[in-house]
Amino acid sequence: MIQKKICMLGSFAVGKTSLVRRFVENMFSDKYMTTIGVKIEKKVIDLKNQSLTLVIWDIAGENGFHQIQGTYLRGMSGYILVADKTRTGTLDTVINIHKTVGQAFRDVPFVLLMNKMDLTGQWDVQESAIDKLGQDGWDVFKTSAKTGQNVQEAFNRLALKMLEK
Amino acid sequence: MADFSAGNKGRGSVHNSDELNSLRTLILAPEQHEIGELKERLNDPKIRAEELSRVIAEAIVIRASTDRKLATALLPTIEEVIRDSVKRDPKFLADSIFPIIGPAIRRSISESLRAMVESMNNTLEHTFSWRGIKWRIESFRTGMPFAEIVLMHTLVYRMEQIFLIHKETGLVLQHVTAESIDSKDADMVSAMLTAIQDFVNDSFAAKEDSSLQNLNMGELTILIEQGPRAVLASVIRGNPPSELRTILKEILENIEFEYNSALDDFKGDAAPFEPCKPDLLYCLTQAQKTDSRSNKAAAVPAKIREKKQKKGGENVVLFIYIAAALCIIIIIAGFILSIL
Repeated sequence: MIQKKICMLGSFAVGKTSLVRRFVENMFSDKYMTTIGVKIEKKVIDLKNQSLTLVIWDIAGENGFHQIQGTYLRGMSGYILVADKTRTGTLDTVINIHKTVGQAFRDVPFVLLMNKMDLTGQWDVQESAIDKLGQDGWDVFKTSAKTGQNVQEAFNRLALKMLEK
Repeated sequence: MADFSAGNKGRGSVHNSDELNSLRTLILAPEQHEIGELKERLNDPKIRAEELSRVIAEAIVIRASTDRKLATALLPTIEEVIRDSVKRDPKFLADSIFPIIGPAIRRSISESLRAMVESMNNTLEHTFSWRGIKWRIESFRTGMPFAEIVLMHTLVYRMEQIFLIHKETGLVLQHVTAESIDSKDADMVSAMLTAIQDFVNDSFAAKEDSSLQNLNMGELTILIEQGPRAVLASVIRGNPPSELRTILKEILENIEFEYNSALDDFKGDAAPFEPCKPDLLYCLTQAQKTDSRSNKAAAVPAKIREKKQKKGGENVVLFIYIAAALCIIIIIAGFILSIL
């Protein structure tokens, strides 16, 4: 069985942990997140006739990107950027994180999740900004951890990109 | 005209070249001869084999005394050779090992019998002794099985789990557990251990080469041995002896050497590390306290024993004196009573 390490990155309260909770079965307690800033989850998926174990490092979100967070990325095969559809600033943060991570870890596959799509009345991020990222070659998924919209698809897409690499 | 001069030139250069060759031969003949001989030795496999045969035994002895890498490197070849030999002619190997089969079987049987007798002794002792009764009460009180209570009180240490972890990714390469140990998901534990190490290293490590080596919680200890590309983490209940770390270190060094390219090329597939499982299982040792009474007897130094025996002798004399005094008192009392 193939194992891959993937990291969840994004600002505080964009819904990273909720997305992971939607996706996985086994979970450690949330208290690890507040103690050392990371929580590990795991999910086994079947893709291209083979089993793939995704070990997901859910890294605590902060506005800046710190050294410890950087250390947690070591050895990852892919990462998921998460932004909040109701806060434009969170999209700027993930774009900055992507720039920083891209310099240290070249050619590592990633996807962007535009989360909280269920909060239709509070949308703040412009569709044009999302479209532009799509035109730049980013894989963007409009997700909702609450309804489960596109969560599975996003993880599967990243898994596929990692296998194809 | 042009042809003529060219011909002259050609003759001149041929002449010069001959002279140069003669000069070179005059000056460098012995060296050229030696170089020729060396070339011949290097190019001739037969000569090279002869030369190597003169030093190979000493080289093997030197390398074998330095580390275990030679044995590790030769192991697959030797296994292959033995397999081929058995396939070709099983009788030959059977005849060869025949003289040792008998003693080996006898030894195995006597070991089994000894272990059985020891186990019966332990069972009887734990069942009927005061200590055994106490443990029975404890088992009844706590609801834990009696065997577990006995193990808990007699165990010095027990290695319960070993994780072989890929250092860079934190992904588990191998995981072994002792019998009757309920373990959590190895992939998650392995990743979490790596995260804790990263956290501690980044937050507190003074030097780059320093790393987290121990984690203690209650009666559990996690010994962490770090290699350049792999980490060996072992979960131990009780008090591990210091030499255990050396054993873990050696095992990790072997794995680093043996799986050198597999570790370098690791892309998430742990299958190439399956053969190292027996080594890790071998490591799941446990040590129990020896019988406390026999231990006490063995531990008492001879002088103290003599002193104790002497003191015992003194006690006997004192007892005789007291008994004699009591007899005299009884006789006197009887005599007085008879007069009255």
